[in-house]
Amino acid sequence: MHNPPYATELKPYGRALVALAEQRDDVICLSGDLTRQTEIDLFQERFPERFVHAGMAEANMISMAGAMAREGLQPFVHTFGVFATRRPYDQIVNAVAYPNLPVRLIGFMPGISSPGGPSHQAIEDVAIMRALPNFTVIDVADALEIAQVVPHLATIPGPVYLRLKRGEIPIIFETDHELRLDKAHILTDGDDVALVTNGMMLAASLDAARTLAGAGVGVKIVHVPVVKPLDSATVRRAVEQARVVVTAENHSVIGGLGSAVAEVIAEAGLARPLRRVGMQDTFAEGSRTAPYLFEKYGLSTQALIDSVWAHLGHDGAAPIAERQELAVGEYQPV
Amino acid sequence: MTTTSTPVKDTVTLARGIRRRAVDMIAPQGFGYLGQALSSAETVAALYGSYLRPGVDRFICSPGHYIIAAYAAAAEVGLLSEEQLLSYGQDGSDLEAIGTERTPLVDLTCGSLAQGLSGAAGFAYADRLRSRTGSRVYALISDGELEEGQVWEAAIFAAHHRLGSLVVILDANNSQVDGPLDSITTIEPIADKWTAFGWHAMDIDGHDVAAVHAAFDSALKDERPSIIIARTSTVHGLDVLPPDADGHFIKLPPELAAAAREELADA
Repeated sequence: MHNPPYATELKPYGRALVALAEQRDDVICLSGDLTRQTEIDLFQERFPERFVHAGMAEANMISMAGAMAREGLQPFVHTFGVFATRRPYDQIVNAVAYPNLPVRLIGFMPGISSPGGPSHQAIEDVAIMRALPNFTVIDVADALEIAQVVPHLATIPGPVYLRLKRGEIPIIFETDHELRLDKAHILTDGDDVALVTNGMMLAASLDAARTLAGAGVGVKIVHVPVVKPLDSATVRRAVEQARVVVTAENHSVIGGLGSAVAEVIAEAGLARPLRRVGMQDTFAEGSRTAPYLFEKYGLSTQALIDSVWAHLGHDGAAPIAERQELAVGEYQPV
Repeated sequence: MTTTSTPVKDTVTLARGIRRRAVDMIAPQGFGYLGQALSSAETVAALYGSYLRPGVDRFICSPGHYIIAAYAAAAEVGLLSEEQLLSYGQDGSDLEAIGTERTPLVDLTCGSLAQGLSGAAGFAYADRLRSRTGSRVYALISDGELEEGQVWEAAIFAAHHRLGSLVVILDANNSQVDGPLDSITTIEPIADKWTAFGWHAMDIDGHDVAAVHAAFDSALKDERPSIIIARTSTVHGLDVLPPDADGHFIKLPPELAAAAREELADA
């Protein structure tokens, strides 16, 4: 893995989708009036005949995508996460999930990565999509994983929800990293804490683990890009090997990754105390910048460090995360 | 281009058969979606008897509970067996009272209202992407569904893309769960709305089989998506029903079922 600050890429998803469409002529691309914002302007330029402007009509877009999938097409449907899940949920159930069709739903701007307020912050998308039978739910962490996950999607027989960060995407992994959809990735080893995370919280978790290691705390990071179906065997093993468990997600702590891990712990009968870092059953607000929200709602690297420190029962002040000056185009978590 | 090949009088007979079979299907329960079969009998009869080509065209039943009329029609034309038909709505039956993935005949799961037209538009658009020509997409929708915004999303999309293979039958029976639709909300003028959206709209007496056939023929000739607004009644063709019968979910106790069978047998 690279060290922060991370280099970034623009539009890794859009490029990966074009590359997939070069290989497969059944891939079609639907836009809910957010074409450039969801990186599919690249697809529109390259394959205009396979690009469908569905307009600001998410319910219709999802129902159409279901019918198109019945015809042997692979519809990739794009909008912001809130509009991809909340708004057409009943259509997703009836037109996609229940008939178990290969519709790929791509929701951008997960959790509180948008400063646009609760209307634009998908803080419950993982929870509601995880509740749907047949759906695969994915939250990858960096540009490399995005490039790798797209061709994987076309091999999944049923529907998929993929939530993706917008804008500058960090490059966290080395090029030899191989994304697995059937396995969680153990990224660091340590006996004190199992830190289970994914998506935008991976970078913060890595930073937190580095700082904690300097203070003598061993952190085993379990990166879980596929929330459902969950690799519960790997999660269970990591939990068994740790004193305490912490989950970190850019999402409500209700129903998402933290809940999935809690289910594993409870069903395995493991007696490990769990803390869930994430949105604590609250909505956020509009702001000038997203980092302000990560700080305010306890999703920062320091909040993670503090949580682990307290959870282990350490007295005194927790170690402080190092912060570096960022050049333009570089990324480090809040 | 498909044009009518079945005489109008055969459609009258087929419509009566739909009514008779719908009575047989709900009689064991004593209540059910009989009103929907009574109101859509002529349009569904024309569709199954004259226009719908199984394996070539698609049929979408957007108000899922109207599937009773399609089951009855399919049995009349030999697509379903007698035994299958009488399992309608029973435990373990594939002929669920609202069509699903398990159900024969339907090309789309509906039931949650107002989603069928979007699916129909999806089929029509997929045909275009696949350069598949000559196939039609028939969608049965209901007037109550026009209260849902998704219908209009689909209508806008279909008209913009000139999805001319779409033929929509709108069963305008003025019935919804809480009472007559026009007592709940105003959706008129229906035809003007669809015309304004760019559709070929026809407003007809949905029990007049000659008018129904003429409307289908006109729809198949027009390059725009077409909608046949069929004005109907949920008690049409069954005089023994009490005047206050609830068209959405008609009660049919044994004596009334017997009288209904007699009326439809004698007709």
